[in-house]
Amino acid sequence: MIRFENVSKIYSNNVVALNNVNLHIQPGEFVSIVGQSGMGKTTLAKLIIAEERPTKGKVIIGGWDITRIRHHEIPVLRRQIGVVYQDFKLLPRKTVFENIAFALEVCGASGARIRKIIPQVLKIVGLEDKSRFFPRQLSGGQQQRVVIARSLIHRPKIILADEPTGNLDSINAQEIIHLLVKINTFGTTVVLVTHNHDIVNMLRKRVITMDHGMIISDQQSGKYIL
Amino acid sequence: MMIVTFFRATKFAFQNFWRNFWLSIVTIFILTLTLVSVSLLSAVNLLANQAITVVKEKVNIDVFFSSAAQAEQMLAVRAFVEQMPEAKQVEYVSATEALERFKKEHVADLDILASLAELEENPLPASLVIQAYELDQYQTIIDKLRASSFADILTTQDFDDNRSVIQRISILSQRVTQIGLVLSFIFATISLLMVFNTIRITIYTHREELNIMKLVGATNWFIRTPFFLEGILYAMIASIVTMAFLYPTFVFVSPYIQAFFQGYSFDFIQFLELHFWKIFALQIGLSLVLSVLSSMIAITRYLRV
Repeated sequence: MIRFENVSKIYSNNVVALNNVNLHIQPGEFVSIVGQSGMGKTTLAKLIIAEERPTKGKVIIGGWDITRIRHHEIPVLRRQIGVVYQDFKLLPRKTVFENIAFALEVCGASGARIRKIIPQVLKIVGLEDKSRFFPRQLSGGQQQRVVIARSLIHRPKIILADEPTGNLDSINAQEIIHLLVKINTFGTTVVLVTHNHDIVNMLRKRVITMDHGMIISDQQSGKYIL
Repeated sequence: MMIVTFFRATKFAFQNFWRNFWLSIVTIFILTLTLVSVSLLSAVNLLANQAITVVKEKVNIDVFFSSAAQAEQMLAVRAFVEQMPEAKQVEYVSATEALERFKKEHVADLDILASLAELEENPLPASLVIQAYELDQYQTIIDKLRASSFADILTTQDFDDNRSVIQRISILSQRVTQIGLVLSFIFATISLLMVFNTIRITIYTHREELNIMKLVGATNWFIRTPFFLEGILYAMIASIVTMAFLYPTFVFVSPYIQAFFQGYSFDFIQFLELHFWKIFALQIGLSLVLSVLSSMIAITRYLRV
């Protein structure tokens, strides 16, 4: 599903963010990418959604070589990858329903389709009764669940979660992780970028550890080793 | 889907417009100033050209025949002038006709009529009234006549004072055009910067929404379109405001203009009405070029997708 072949990313100021990374994530896998801040985790995530391009090597998503992806093809790619960020990125002046609807509107979905999909995704994340609430009326965990609901609207093959629990207390963090596991059981590939030991150790799924832009360990059913 | 998308892009454009209401108003105001100055410049140009044409039409020279000239000679002179490439129109005015015209022109002046009656003979000579195509051809015509074998039966005059009037109008209209061009250029530059800045600010205030749009896979086309539409909206409103301001203004000043062109076939209001849509289209065109150009620069500069 996701394949990195000898990928290096060097930023213009000669900062090496990724150094010859080789990686293969199978469809339906749940993979945690761990490491301390500034070790290349977020760069790796950005390469997956074509927010950055590799300096060297190949990035292949679902059989599609996106190394030299064209500008107008990026939206097509991003509709296949649901993205969840630490800082939610919800619009404060829109309700939960409108926030999710906005994401569908800008992609040209019809009104009928919007009204059909939103209750479905809200049900998956357990917020059916919160659709008229504004983000500030929700807890951090609930807001993050709205974001996950939004990331599901295109029925993506991949969910990319970059520090989704970074702003949450441990109980809320656990709920979010359970939700991601639930989505994973439907067959969606989940890539979780985190530096939270407890979560990674609890999951007992594949763990890829990064250090100074390199993969230093890749374990099926692994633990946080740093 | 295309229609839905276009409809939504339009909705976003209107939202941007309303949410930055005062900024939008100032942008439209500056665009309007540009249009007004360009329109006034064109109007002044048009009127000056019209004035020059009118004065040119007034210009002609009279060539008088001496009393010794015979009828055949006069016709020969007329034929001679008519075959000159410079001559546009040649009119033969006989002595009797000249007298009739003179009497008509001075019908109210009893003294003159009385003194005419005193004279036994018609004091007015027969003449040719010659009109050339261009102003600078009059001297050529005169020179040719003077060099011809008819010189001794003709009294020619040098080309008259109308020339300096025309020159003055030309110079004035040139000055007005120059000043107008400079003003229009300044306003056009200001409007470019204004629209650019407005779109930039809109992009800045919407950066969160734009980020989310990108995140969920909105097409670049969809992200950019509302800003283009916003620019188009500014252009349309500015053109309408300009017309709403200029048309009544022109109607108001037209009696004064009419007075200047009295007796000539030029009706300013009729001209405006005849060309209303053309002028309107030109204004929309100009403001569209200005605002689309500057929103394009702002979008490519600040809207990385």
